[in-house]
Amino acid sequence: MSKRFPILLISLLIIASVVLGACKAAEPTPAPPEEGKPAEPVTEEVTLRVWTHQNDAFNEGYANLAEAYMAEHPNVTITFETFDYDTYIQTLQTALPAGTEADILQMFGSWVCSYVEGDNLAAVPSDVLSMDKARDTVFSAQLAGYICDDTLYGIPQEFNIEYGAVLVNTRLAQEVGIEDIEEGWANWDEFIADAQKLVEKQDDVMIRAGYHFTASDAIPATFYSLILQYGGQYLTDEGFRVNTPEGKQALEFMISLVDAGVVDPVLFNDEENWVGDAYFEELTAIGLVGPWVIPEYAADYPDIVDVTRYIQLPSFSDEPVFVASSGWGLTVSARSQVKETAWDFISYAVLNPENATQWNIASGTLPALKANAAGAGAEKLMAEFPYFEPFLAILEYGQHEGHFPDRDLVWYEITYSRILNALQGNMSVEETLETLEREVNESY
Amino acid sequence: MAVTTIAKPHRGLARFLHRLRHGRDSAQRQFVFGSVSPMVLYMTFFTLFPMIWGLALAFFEYSARRSGGPILGLGGDNPFVGLQHFRNMLNFAPDAPLEIRQFHISIKTTTIFAFLIVPLNLAITLPLAVLIESVHKRLKGIFRTFFFLPVLAPSVGVALMWGWIYHPQRGLLNAIRTAIGGKLVATNWTGDQSLTFLGIPVALLAVIVAYLWQDMGYNLVIFIAALQGIPESIKDAARIDGANWWQMFTRVNLPLLKPTIMLASVLTMIDSFKVFDIIQVMTEGGPNEQTRVLVLDIYNNAFRFQRMGWAAAVSFVLFVVVMAISIVQARLLRTEWEY
Repeated sequence: MSKRFPILLISLLIIASVVLGACKAAEPTPAPPEEGKPAEPVTEEVTLRVWTHQNDAFNEGYANLAEAYMAEHPNVTITFETFDYDTYIQTLQTALPAGTEADILQMFGSWVCSYVEGDNLAAVPSDVLSMDKARDTVFSAQLAGYICDDTLYGIPQEFNIEYGAVLVNTRLAQEVGIEDIEEGWANWDEFIADAQKLVEKQDDVMIRAGYHFTASDAIPATFYSLILQYGGQYLTDEGFRVNTPEGKQALEFMISLVDAGVVDPVLFNDEENWVGDAYFEELTAIGLVGPWVIPEYAADYPDIVDVTRYIQLPSFSDEPVFVASSGWGLTVSARSQVKETAWDFISYAVLNPENATQWNIASGTLPALKANAAGAGAEKLMAEFPYFEPFLAILEYGQHEGHFPDRDLVWYEITYSRILNALQGNMSVEETLETLEREVNESY
Repeated sequence: MAVTTIAKPHRGLARFLHRLRHGRDSAQRQFVFGSVSPMVLYMTFFTLFPMIWGLALAFFEYSARRSGGPILGLGGDNPFVGLQHFRNMLNFAPDAPLEIRQFHISIKTTTIFAFLIVPLNLAITLPLAVLIESVHKRLKGIFRTFFFLPVLAPSVGVALMWGWIYHPQRGLLNAIRTAIGGKLVATNWTGDQSLTFLGIPVALLAVIVAYLWQDMGYNLVIFIAALQGIPESIKDAARIDGANWWQMFTRVNLPLLKPTIMLASVLTMIDSFKVFDIIQVMTEGGPNEQTRVLVLDIYNNAFRFQRMGWAAAVSFVLFVVVMAISIVQARLLRTEWEY
């Protein structure tokens, strides 16, 4: 036999094993505990793996909490693995069914129930947070995303809000003679009058919008919030219903804003002049977007931030009800071998009001804990972020947007695109509501 | 006494290995086997297996979010649906589910896109190649480089650049129109669904212009190379017969370039059917799905909405369409020319 043949064969086997090795998941599955031993003795060295999406401010907050926790629990080592947002979504979608995920998983509230479906997430133990206590402690709009079939699967850390208050450029307002804009608006007529004054046109082309509410988060948030304010509900026992008197009122009101000339939805939408860009480039004087946008632009537009105030929007109802998605929070993998420690860390980071405030300050987010929307926590937050004030006043009126099989499909692919179509004058109100209702119901 | 050893007959793999080790030119065979095997393994794992996997998924209601059955997650919560996805594609009812209507839109848009790109590309690159070929030798290289550079640019960069050109307020195109007309123009080329030209959405045409700009250098280089391959003797004979520039182009160059035109049109058509990145960055399929193409539809279904089974079925349709077009084009442009 030729001496070269075995070498050749071994080389091929090495190549094959490298190729196969590359196909293997990057992260090892946690080893199961040895039989007969307790799953997690207190003194045993424990390593907690945490997955988060890449957001420097968020992750700095996590790092601070982990450091403090590890100082108190020397046997625990917490390691973070971060992924950019799109990669994180895909990693969760593939790693969870494959069972290769970390112990603690940062989740957006709207995603939680879709992962619970595959038995991928662990329920919150009642000694960590019972359902009744959770309802007393956490804002319902945020908690609801983490409740699937009456079981709690995680704890939210932030209040995600896209409606209720608007960014206002006070310098531009003064330039057009609106001196009292910071006092707010008693009703929509006052608001529209101010927004109209702030519009700038040249040769009949809108070069600055008065009120930009035509982005992909703002349109669904406005539409569904208005339905609530008109006294309707879009999630009913018969399914998703917007082809209703309240739905019609909401859409007609949005069209009336366009007819009043406060925005040109062809020139201002998600694809062109997105609300954050448009606001900080002074292409709109008032913009509907959540407070998370300020830290994003603060470094590049400090002058604009200085003249920016968040001002509460008028409401059609006595209480300024609005819809909100459940924001970012922490969950535990159902397959984690160190669940007890994982929940202990989450409890330390999220349910301790002081630590929760610390994380909200580091990440620039609104609190999910009721206790931190008032009192000492709120004061600390407002000292750091004065523009939080109008939001803190309305958080209790938030209503969870509801559970959809695919929330992004409903929000962006259907609601945003169909309503923008109507605002641009390409579809009638009736046709839009009928299409919207049918397409969302099909997605179930 | 002489002992005779009778070799047992080798069969299958054993015969192959025996010939590899002991056959004539065994060293050469081993070299070939050793060189080709890594590539075969690579193609098996990264091309053949994904193709088979993609085809298999088309017959399942598969989502990576669900655990499914024990074998590759198929079955269980990811049930076998047979030809259901393909049957659904033939549901042309106006109230058909959203993903089916979006599939029909994407098929139509991709077809318009590809059937506009191919003739436009050839209409630009072929005469341009003849012109470049006719200039002085030293200038040829400069022109070739000039027109080929966009091919080297990343598609995302090209899309961002054209996005800036088309921007309604800050865009170059509207700035030129404003400067010429003396009146502010803010046309939203890629975002106003009411704009059409000869029934084709302007947003789609805007994307086509950007795609052509990036893609045409490739065919240009192919045509220049093909033109250089035409024997001088044929051109000389035509000149002696008194052929002018136009006759040289239509009666000599064009017929002799037929195989190259076929190659270029097939490659361009296939590329056009696979267009994705430039549209994803410039329009994301908007406005109101006017630029939603097949690969974007596949991407959205597979990775945004986790409808992997449906996306795989649409991918299979794309594969069949591209193959069918390639076969038809190859037959239509079949040539007997030899030179």
